[in-house]
Amino acid sequence: MKLDRRTFLTASLGLAAGASTTALPNRPKYHVARRQPRSRVAILGAESYSHKLESILQYGLGLFHLDVRGKTVLLKPNLVDYISGNHINTHPLLVCAAVECFRRLGAKNVLVGEGPGHQRDTELVLLESGFSEALRQVSVPFVDLNRDELAITPLLAGYTGMKCLWLPRTVLEADFVVSMPKVKTHHWSGVTLSMKNMFGVVPGAKYGWPKNILHWKGIQESILDLCATVPIHFVIADAIVAMEGNGPLNGHPRPLNRIVLSDDPVAADATCMRLMGLGPARITHIRIGAQFLGNASTERIDQLADVVCAPANPFEVVPEFQHLRVTGSAQRDS
Amino acid sequence: MTIWWFCPRTQRVHDTQELNCACVQELIDRQLPEGGWPFTTVTTQWAVGPTALALLALPSNSVRERDAAIRFLLRTQNANGSWPAFSGDDEAGSGLTGLALYALNRCCVQGMVTDRAIQWLIESRGWESHWLWKWKFRTSDHHVRFDPDKFGWPWIPETVSWVVPTAYSILALKYARGIPQQGPVQFRIRHGVEMLHDRICPGGGWNAGNGVVYGFPLSPHADVTALALLSLLNEPPNHFITSSLDWLERRADTCFAPWSLAWTILALDAFGRPTELVVDRLASVVDPAEVKDCATLAVVSLAFARAPGDNAFRVADET
Repeated sequence: MKLDRRTFLTASLGLAAGASTTALPNRPKYHVARRQPRSRVAILGAESYSHKLESILQYGLGLFHLDVRGKTVLLKPNLVDYISGNHINTHPLLVCAAVECFRRLGAKNVLVGEGPGHQRDTELVLLESGFSEALRQVSVPFVDLNRDELAITPLLAGYTGMKCLWLPRTVLEADFVVSMPKVKTHHWSGVTLSMKNMFGVVPGAKYGWPKNILHWKGIQESILDLCATVPIHFVIADAIVAMEGNGPLNGHPRPLNRIVLSDDPVAADATCMRLMGLGPARITHIRIGAQFLGNASTERIDQLADVVCAPANPFEVVPEFQHLRVTGSAQRDS
Repeated sequence: MTIWWFCPRTQRVHDTQELNCACVQELIDRQLPEGGWPFTTVTTQWAVGPTALALLALPSNSVRERDAAIRFLLRTQNANGSWPAFSGDDEAGSGLTGLALYALNRCCVQGMVTDRAIQWLIESRGWESHWLWKWKFRTSDHHVRFDPDKFGWPWIPETVSWVVPTAYSILALKYARGIPQQGPVQFRIRHGVEMLHDRICPGGGWNAGNGVVYGFPLSPHADVTALALLSLLNEPPNHFITSSLDWLERRADTCFAPWSLAWTILALDAFGRPTELVVDRLASVVDPAEVKDCATLAVVSLAFARAPGDNAFRVADET
């Protein structure tokens, strides 16, 4: 067969285009690798929300030998709204306990910051949820991340297709970010744990209430891009009274009587899911996050305190997420 | 950085005129040299939200400050007629465009700038109005109860409509000066009003825009409810308005947050409902120097200023 120059060029271009198309899905979409060889998790027992939390937390943090001396520590609780009787938010007593513990560890500054995604009146949520009074008692400043000074920030992963996001300076300038989620099921994302909690750093002043762009670009994808860009240095998850069913606002309380600590958000979230009786590998942001943000496999996680004990009845979820619920041997394999 | 130090609040009820003067003075002190306002004093990054609200709150005798604010808004308009949300924001346009235009309307500004803004508002719409997404919401995505035929305005382009930007846009279009209240303007106002009716929470009131999710009714929010009501001010009385006013009155009984209380006062006052107790509550929880957020300070000032019949949102009779 005679191969002229035109045919050769056309064929070459076609081949190159085909190769690039097939290679795209396999190409990593992240520009940062935070996964350590091993991760540490501590599951601590806590019967109720009381002033005993400080000593429990101090013991737990001691297991990690954290060095936060001279650092600015930002605590990022999950504050969504206030509905009387519903366990929606990270409990203020747990946040105050964390404030005192990080101060004791030598942090230069400890701040609490959040940008609620649903309720525009952040002060109302703080007042009605008891946060105002609790934070006043420990004299800690609160930063409304919805109305903070903003800086344009290139994203370090490309799952949403967005190149950058406006993010609050307080978050960008913090030396040590602690995600403090309330352990809950979520009707859009399956679960809301330490990684999903980072939606709260996306400012309403730019993206509105709710931060609808994150939904349009894909919730799982947005979680990955955000967590690649804003590193979570530590996790303190409130699973003392968790939420199941139609979370994040209207689920039912489900006591787990646990606090989960970790130096790895993927390990923390995978462990929380196991405590909920849900399979972490079945959630996209945890499965893909385990490639570059942390460890989800039990073989790569050192449990420093209690062992993971899955409940006999997995957490209730909305119909779309029934596939998350696992039992028996499937629980161990997930 | 927005930092609130939580100080014990005074419970003494101050004179509201005195408090309003203090609010206005704080606003004047916090105005940036270029004429806009930031959210808080610890930054110089201006934002359109606090700027437009502060412009509405400044009394007519603050001539220099008002002029600077007006010139600032005229200068910061995007080429397409919209406004950015803050300094450095992209030029695609924000859901605060309606608020900026409304503030300029109230200052009798009229001309190319307002014409361009009106045109942008006419063309900007939530993505649920697009046939493809409408089809998706009709056929496969029923988790949120809403009718995609009834659309309003989004917070940012390429997202769906939400209550706050829709209410701001309705206010701006309804009270725009020198434009015929028919044709495309009327079309968008009617669709916006229908969208608000569609997104109402069961029992009255509005939140961000999801009244029912997964068959479960969500709670309304006071500030959003007040703003939606203000945009419906000259609509014929109906059960949406009445039930929302009733809900807002009940909610005010247990509310102590200045932003929500101030919006509540403005809406109840505009509809002729009693506000004395809510004003007293606001006066008891506010110390203007301690309100670090300029947008909140401006709305509080508007709420106190409404006492002599000067409600910045009660403009139905003027058109």
